[in-house]
Amino acid sequence: MTTEDISGTAPGPGPAAVHEQGVVRVSGLRKEYGDTVALNGVSLEIGAGEAVAVMGPSGCGKSTLLNMIAGLDRPSAGQVCVHGEDLGAMNETGLALFRRRRIGMIFQFFNLIDDLPTIDNVALAAQLTGTPTRQARRRALELLDELGIADRRNVYPAALSGGERQRAAVARALMNRPALLLADEPTGALDSHAGEQVMDLLIDLNELGQTLLLVTHDQTLATRCAGRLVLMADGRITGERALERSA
Amino acid sequence: MSAVWRASRAAVRRRRLQTSVIAAVVLVSSTALVVALGLLDVASGPFDRLFGQVHGAHVVATFDATKVSGAELERTVKRPGVRAAAGPFSQAVIDMPESAASQMPGMAPGPLTVVGRPDPGGDVDRLDLFAGHWATGPGQIVLALPDAPGMGNGPHSPLGKRIRLSGQRPLTVVGLASSVSGTAQAWVSPQQITALHPTTYQMLYRFDRAATAREISEGLSAVSAGLPFGSLVAHQSYLTLKAQVAASPNAYVPFLLAFGILGLLVAVLIVGNVVSGAVVSGFRHIGVLKSLGFTPRQVVAVYLVMVCVPATAGALAGTALGGVLAPPLLHQVFQGAQLGTATVHPTISSWAYVTAALGMPLTVLLAALIPALRAHRLSAARAISAGSAPHGGRGPAVQRWLSGVRLPRPVTLGLGLPFARPGRALLTVASVVLGVATVTFATGLSATMVAYGRAEQDYGTAQSTVWRGQPRFDQTAPRHNDAATQNLLRSLPHVADVAAVGFINVRILGRSEGVAIEGVRGGRSALPDNLARGRWMSGPGEVVASGRFLAKQGLRLGDSFTLTGADGRQERVTLVGEILAGPEDWMRADWSTVTALAPEAQANQYWVHLTRGADFNAYKKAVQAADPGLYPTKNTMLNTDAVTVISSASALTLMLTLVAAMGVFNTVVLNTRERRRDLGMLKSIGMTPRQVTVMMVASMAGLGLVGGILGLPLGVAAYHVVIPITEHAAQLTFPARMLDVWHPGLMTLLVLAGVVIAALGAVLPARAAARQTIARVLHTE
Repeated sequence: MTTEDISGTAPGPGPAAVHEQGVVRVSGLRKEYGDTVALNGVSLEIGAGEAVAVMGPSGCGKSTLLNMIAGLDRPSAGQVCVHGEDLGAMNETGLALFRRRRIGMIFQFFNLIDDLPTIDNVALAAQLTGTPTRQARRRALELLDELGIADRRNVYPAALSGGERQRAAVARALMNRPALLLADEPTGALDSHAGEQVMDLLIDLNELGQTLLLVTHDQTLATRCAGRLVLMADGRITGERALERSA
Repeated sequence: MSAVWRASRAAVRRRRLQTSVIAAVVLVSSTALVVALGLLDVASGPFDRLFGQVHGAHVVATFDATKVSGAELERTVKRPGVRAAAGPFSQAVIDMPESAASQMPGMAPGPLTVVGRPDPGGDVDRLDLFAGHWATGPGQIVLALPDAPGMGNGPHSPLGKRIRLSGQRPLTVVGLASSVSGTAQAWVSPQQITALHPTTYQMLYRFDRAATAREISEGLSAVSAGLPFGSLVAHQSYLTLKAQVAASPNAYVPFLLAFGILGLLVAVLIVGNVVSGAVVSGFRHIGVLKSLGFTPRQVVAVYLVMVCVPATAGALAGTALGGVLAPPLLHQVFQGAQLGTATVHPTISSWAYVTAALGMPLTVLLAALIPALRAHRLSAARAISAGSAPHGGRGPAVQRWLSGVRLPRPVTLGLGLPFARPGRALLTVASVVLGVATVTFATGLSATMVAYGRAEQDYGTAQSTVWRGQPRFDQTAPRHNDAATQNLLRSLPHVADVAAVGFINVRILGRSEGVAIEGVRGGRSALPDNLARGRWMSGPGEVVASGRFLAKQGLRLGDSFTLTGADGRQERVTLVGEILAGPEDWMRADWSTVTALAPEAQANQYWVHLTRGADFNAYKKAVQAADPGLYPTKNTMLNTDAVTVISSASALTLMLTLVAAMGVFNTVVLNTRERRRDLGMLKSIGMTPRQVTVMMVASMAGLGLVGGILGLPLGVAAYHVVIPITEHAAQLTFPARMLDVWHPGLMTLLVLAGVVIAALGAVLPARAAARQTIARVLHTE
């Protein structure tokens, strides 16, 4: 792996600290789709409470890396450990339970279920674990309230604005108190105002101790929300630097 | 057109799974259709063909020679409406001696109708003289027998054998012939018949119009008008013969047609579902086609060709498969069927194959046209921007309600899924309805046929039939006489009851053809439980017979008629009961009735009802030790007709159930494709593969339950429509106890069959959805 240290940036958590409190540990990760190599020997560690942004051109492998860490896809070679659990040792059910317990995901296109009102979209994540409906809805309402869209709880996704939809998606991602929040272009489908709101939300979450891994093309999002930037190209990590959050 | 073809070919390749579903459904339906049409064709086709070829007699009329002269009858040929006629032929009834009958396969002792006829040809009823030569001189006789292997030659052939009649010179069998019209049991020359003291004349007529019983009756009235009153003593319509030939296959035609229709409906529903699914999920594809310059008609053509390819392939394969499966079934059904004494060779006409091969794809195209027209109407811009048709119906409201229901969340999510696509859900429910209706119908049919099969076993509850040894068949003669034999058999261990059974041949006064009486002495519990209406005979002068007998003789329960024995003894009997099924020339009577007509009659077999758990082999040893001249045989408890109906109904039910499940399968495949993004999201938040499977199966199980509830009454209704048609067509009479097949437990199971069909169809695509890699879906819109 080629890692380029860029001097003159704000210091992030030291390597020792990351190692000690590492939430994500990826080593020698390789992923092939037929003849195409999407990831080629990627290694990365993310410490608890850290906010890391992965940037790079389209097709560089950043979404593939995110899928591997979320347990949505399996690597061709290498190892992914999240919160001390080796994903390669898990079967499909094990991976699902792992995602349920450890991972919260936010997507560019929200991926809310059209047939369910906002509160039920959010509550769904808890209901899958067997949480009773009433309890799940109570927790969902708390989250919607914290994210400022409690008044939209009974509205169906089609009637929400882009920003509201992404806030609902964030609420759903936080429902099971995940160890790691993964966000794939979370502001990519939003206008600038809604994008600002989502960025503020992610910063607030990170400041509250939520570990965050962002995949984005958006330099502003990366510099505002992340404390460390990982650069990728052609399936490899080509550089890494600490960031000082801009206001 | 090439652009349409290319686009269609690409669409077929993209939808391999659904293409396979259409092909499979059409295949199964075409097979059922070929079998049903083949039966229909054979039931009427061979008769009409053969009857036309040999100028069969529309009416065989018997006139009293003491009341009308041959010259008067000759003039009836010129009557209006008579196309052709043969006769008058003098007719006599002789008594076939036991000694002669026992040497000739196919002949029975007793009355034998003999006609004096100069040659086997003529304008009406051309006989098939398949062995020997025609009777032209004195002492010669030609027998009416079927052209069976070994009949015309070999050691058992009747040719050359002699029939010795009391007070007459013997008759030598010089030829064997078969008659489609069954005009006689034997023929002699016109000179010879005079020596046999004929009492009646036979006239054979073909009419200009003879399609219905009414037209036959009109023709008969025309020829008998002006003749002395009472001179026409008997007549036989060819329609009766035709009905007898068709009786056995007609038992199969109604239910096979019902299966064919159900299969066709399921095929139409599934094709409609597949095509509408293709249109709904292919909105963008339609938009792209239109933006490329495809006209709306060309877009419709793409979808129709897309369906036409698998439908044609399925129809051709199904027709071919029907061609393979139908002949053995037809052989089974028509085994032993005869037109008069001519044997029926069941072959399916080409029209049955052509109808299935062309009709099925045409039906499928019509089913596809309606959803394909939606593609015609769709604007290109809307199609491209929408990607797929928006969800409609009451999906959100139902999902909202279900989210509060105390069931596992994957189950409630699944139950709500169909409401997002109500049209598709309705088509799926309809296929399950038809599937459950098929299972219900077949279950009822099988239950009735099982009861019928049990009741119709030739030997009833008797596990063994003991035959008296016949020295002429190189067997040992029994040491005991008839009555002593019955007592002996009854006295052996493990015997519950013994019925002695013997047969005599008699005639119904005024009718030319003979009928057999099966006389039963004692052992009522060994008799079959096959009474459909009325009651069993309880003493002398009472008989029971089948519906076929009643139809042929034009009798009803309670009617009385006189029977004449071989030596002229007469006994008046009353028809007191109708049994489920039986030959048209057979009655069952108490032994006292038999001895009234033939005092010397002896039983030749004994039906033995053994006690529960008795060993047949031990019983057989005991019988042979007691009298080596007695030959016990084990009765097979199998009714081949019932077995054929049950096995073919089961096979067709299985096929149609699978087809209905394919409809569900197709719906789940469509839903899974449409819901890829939702499934991906659910997995991303921790839905396990098992929960995904449960959700998708639950989505169909709910529809299956609805389908079960709706399909049950439909199946029961189909049963109540088909059974009476079967009874009428096959000349059967099912008693009420055989129709009482619907019980609460069974009905509950049948409703649950809908859930099973739905789960069966859903489980494979649901598991595939559970295993689907969803990483990419989540990152694209």
